[in-house]
Amino acid sequence: MIAAAWLGLGVLASAVLRRRTARLVALVPLAGAGLTFLAARSTVPSISLGGLTAITGLDRAGQGVLVVAGVSMAVVVALHPTVDVSVARSIGIVGAAVTVAMASSDPLVTALALTAAIATLVIRWISLSPGRATLAAGRVAGGGTAALVAASSFLPLTGFTTGFRPAVVGAMLAIGFAALLAVYPLGGWAAGLLGSLRPLDVAPWLVLLVPVVLLIAERIPGGVLGDGIPVFEHLLLIVGLGSAAWGGLWAVRGPARTRYGRIFMADIALSIAAVGGGRPSPAVVGALVIVLTHLTLAPILLRSGESGLRWPRRVAWTMLSGVPPSPTFWGRLLVLEALAAGNVGSTIAAVFAMTAIFVATVMACSTTLPVVAGSGWRARIPDAMAWGLVAFAIAIGLAPQSISGFVFGT
Amino acid sequence: MGVSPPLLSAAGILAAVIAMMVDGRRAVAIAVVFLAAGMAPTAATFGGAPGVAVLGGAAVAAVVLSMAGWVGGRLLPWLAGLDPTIPAFAPADRLFGPRSRRAFGAAIAVPIASWVSFNVPVGQVATVQGLLFPIAYAWTCGVVRLLVARTVEDLAVGVSMISLATGTAWLLRSGTDSLPGAALACLVGPLAALVAGWLNGRSSRGPHARIEAEA
Repeated sequence: MIAAAWLGLGVLASAVLRRRTARLVALVPLAGAGLTFLAARSTVPSISLGGLTAITGLDRAGQGVLVVAGVSMAVVVALHPTVDVSVARSIGIVGAAVTVAMASSDPLVTALALTAAIATLVIRWISLSPGRATLAAGRVAGGGTAALVAASSFLPLTGFTTGFRPAVVGAMLAIGFAALLAVYPLGGWAAGLLGSLRPLDVAPWLVLLVPVVLLIAERIPGGVLGDGIPVFEHLLLIVGLGSAAWGGLWAVRGPARTRYGRIFMADIALSIAAVGGGRPSPAVVGALVIVLTHLTLAPILLRSGESGLRWPRRVAWTMLSGVPPSPTFWGRLLVLEALAAGNVGSTIAAVFAMTAIFVATVMACSTTLPVVAGSGWRARIPDAMAWGLVAFAIAIGLAPQSISGFVFGT
Repeated sequence: MGVSPPLLSAAGILAAVIAMMVDGRRAVAIAVVFLAAGMAPTAATFGGAPGVAVLGGAAVAAVVLSMAGWVGGRLLPWLAGLDPTIPAFAPADRLFGPRSRRAFGAAIAVPIASWVSFNVPVGQVATVQGLLFPIAYAWTCGVVRLLVARTVEDLAVGVSMISLATGTAWLLRSGTDSLPGAALACLVGPLAALVAGWLNGRSSRGPHARIEAEA
């Protein structure tokens, strides 16, 4: 029902709304988040689709991620200077798809839902800006979902926990998740998108899809893959750490307009490396704190620097720097703790990435751009919303475990 | 009487090669029809009549939805449509064109599919007979087609190839969930045909209307 509401509202909003009322597109993700928040755990064990246990319901962490992602998407729309109503259709379809993906315990249904989300975004991206970067999104992210779809036919691995089958399945899952999360060497498409599209058009992937895929990836191991676990974990560890270091470096060296996207990708890569290869407990908590921080600050930092919010942006960059007691400090500390339990090489790569991210945030803080100042109460609304988000980020930094527990459950 | 694995493989290879090479506005529907036909012997062996019905249904649905999408795209109000057959960017002229790269990919897919067929068991099927070969070949070709795609139509063909290959793989699992899983996986092919048809219909209406208005 939640997925149907996302889909219906998205299609309706894109058909009904006009330029003057375009900002009402924010109601689509807000309604989706509200319905997800109100949804209680179903008393029916599962909704089956033939012999498939298609929908088993949302658990607490999944519910938390979907609610925060929906609210974050709504604020992204509300704070964006100009809104194209057709984005409502993409938001609706992606929101419905991630809800189904998160609520399903069947690998085929999850993979197909993620395919629908990526296909929707790719068609929109190519129609907005036909080019090498947007086509690469279809090629690589589409290939990633293909790997997940193919892996589903080999799961579960009952009776086949040794030999090539678990190794092949582990590799396919790792490649699939790496492609969807834009982890290098499968992440060039996202870097290209950040430079060629408006932030609002990239936001459904960044805010709605990535956190869900990260959480689904975290749930894959745990005895499911047999001999494939080392392949899955080591692949994600290596590509995740390499991607985090590379992303951090390019956040420092690259253009200012793509800096937030690079830092976001680097943080997600760190999280997936820790979730894949580190100690599970601190890695998962650290990744959730990092995701929560980004979902809180993305609406401010995705907005162009020239369009106002100078001081909220500066404070938001500080929250991302990793300086205590910013929320990212706690998140990255836990991720580092998880990685340090593995080997010293992982720790060095993670420290390098975190240092690069710190330098990039300092550079972003010190950059002063000419701002077009608005007047009247309408111009103050974005400021008030941005300060509210910053205040919430500060609260996460002051009580990271409590707030992440409140949002995602214990 | 057992089914000859080489015969199954030959039918699958032929269908996958045709799907790899097909271009144009009806490419998705053609790819789905040929793949369904090529995979049907494998589906019949493991899924029986219901298995063949799943693939046949996918083929029919792809043709019908492709046409419905095209008609829908032409009838509904014109918007600045995306032509799925126009390359998203113009690459430099090279010695080998897009079809050559696809042919090369189809050749590379043979040893990959062969290795998968003999080393990776699916469901309860013993792979030493090479029964997974046509499926693995069609899937690998689909991924290659995705990776060398130049147009939205190429992407849709790649997705539909992966969809039908995965659907047939689900039939080989031989469990209670194999048939619904196969049907669900095969559903993506016709949906890709619908989207491609819709985009084709929308984009084919624009230039005509504009030309008529200018005339």
